Amino acid sequence: MDNAVYVGLSRQMILRRELDIIANNVANADTVGFKVESLMARTEPGAPAETLGAPRPVKFVLAAGVARDFGQGALFQTGSDFDLGIEGDGFFEIATDEGARYTRDGRFRLDELGRIVTQAGDPVSGDGGGEIVVNPQDGPVSIAGDGTVSQGENVIGKVAVMRFDDLSMLEKAGDNQLRNISNLQPQAAPDARVHQGMLEGSNVKPILEITRLIEVTRAYESVTRMMESTADLSRRAVERMGRAN
Amino acid sequence: MQALRTAATGMSAQQLNVEVISNNIANMNTVGFKKQRAEFQDLLYHTIERAGAQSSEQGTIVPAGVQIGGGVKAGSVYRITEQGSVTNTGNPYDLAIEGRGFFQVLMPSGETAYTRAGNLSLNAAGQLVTEDGYELQPAIAVPNAATSIAVSKTGQVQAIRAGQTEAEIVGQIELASFVNEAGLDAIGDNLLMETAASGPANTGAPGAEGFGTLLQGYTEASNVDAVTEITALIVAQRAYEMNSKVISAADEMLQAANAVKS
Repeated sequence: MDNAVYVGLSRQMILRRELDIIANNVANADTVGFKVESLMARTEPGAPAETLGAPRPVKFVLAAGVARDFGQGALFQTGSDFDLGIEGDGFFEIATDEGARYTRDGRFRLDELGRIVTQAGDPVSGDGGGEIVVNPQDGPVSIAGDGTVSQGENVIGKVAVMRFDDLSMLEKAGDNQLRNISNLQPQAAPDARVHQGMLEGSNVKPILEITRLIEVTRAYESVTRMMESTADLSRRAVERMGRAN
Repeated sequence: MQALRTAATGMSAQQLNVEVISNNIANMNTVGFKKQRAEFQDLLYHTIERAGAQSSEQGTIVPAGVQIGGGVKAGSVYRITEQGSVTNTGNPYDLAIEGRGFFQVLMPSGETAYTRAGNLSLNAAGQLVTEDGYELQPAIAVPNAATSIAVSKTGQVQAIRAGQTEAEIVGQIELASFVNEAGLDAIGDNLLMETAASGPANTGAPGAEGFGTLLQGYTEASNVDAVTEITALIVAQRAYEMNSKVISAADEMLQAANAVKS
């Protein structure tokens, strides 16, 4: 087959993958703490299938990785005491059975033991590890900007807010959580502010996603057309050569 | 194509969202109703290329991995137990709880249910019952001859009999509270049931530590805010449309692929 078809196919595969990512962004446009993603493409010089004189290499399209925009999502008010939104760089730390997970989704609640937990019931880590246990009978719980949890004058604990120097070493684990896949340990995030009764919306920008969606569809079509005309070209060549003989 | 399935998860999530919002709006005027919200989480990610993987013998690593998400799922429907505003009704049997706690109601099955809806009335035996005729627990009987009843902030029920001036104590209302109120199970009719997630009920008199106080002649309105709900409805509708747009885009691409002449 022709080089053009191979190159076109590599582009189409990437476009499909890009569409998958856009679809995931759009599906999560309303998911608390979701961070938008986009596919990065790179060129991969490859040996052409056949060279006609000029030694020009063919450049294929390959995925270079998924870029994750950790930009701030808009904070909105909910009125629930255990809804926490982070402003600035940082993540909540969740102690799950599979180890520590990091999230910007602060929709927490109390479980039957009074621990602050996630939707899945995994405890939210306090500063320096450990769980935060609240007794609702002791009055309303207030959580300060630095994460300090108190009831009246009693300080009960502090919600840990951690940050990473290298965010690319975080992998999405589903359930709005991220997993640390390197040996780098997170540090406390002094700049992050915790807002009680607020949540951080996703930072998906619908207009951008729909524009990219149109772009991807059109690019896919034009690559298809290019491959078609390449096929046309070779068909015509076969016809003409057949006539000459 | 993954995009089709991903967009479908987005559409079904938004559908659930609209269902929850419409239930909130429908119960805007339900006494003691607590609004709910659908909570979404992203689905599992399919890792195609892992960040941090070795890309050469020299120890260079892949700086960014390729992970493709599978869409969105509804994690749970969470009840926001924020206090509703109290409205004056003038009915002496209407009680609103200001603060934490639930009225305890004896179900016909013998189980105890919990409610914030304090629009009570008397049954034929003179007992305080809910709208459905379920007795309040502990049972409080108002004597037949009572001309007026008064319920104090701390739940003491007093009645004045005809021809008397001295009020007589006829009962004490007790409230129940839970560590995790959002974990209670709604069974309809404004009633909630205890679950393993809510923890066991603690009972106590209104006004005691950790319990709210009572307000006679008032009911607690729902905590649904119409403007918030309508805004959420618009967001849900547009998000649904956007997902359907992704489906048509994926469909268009598949069509283009199918139309390639061989």
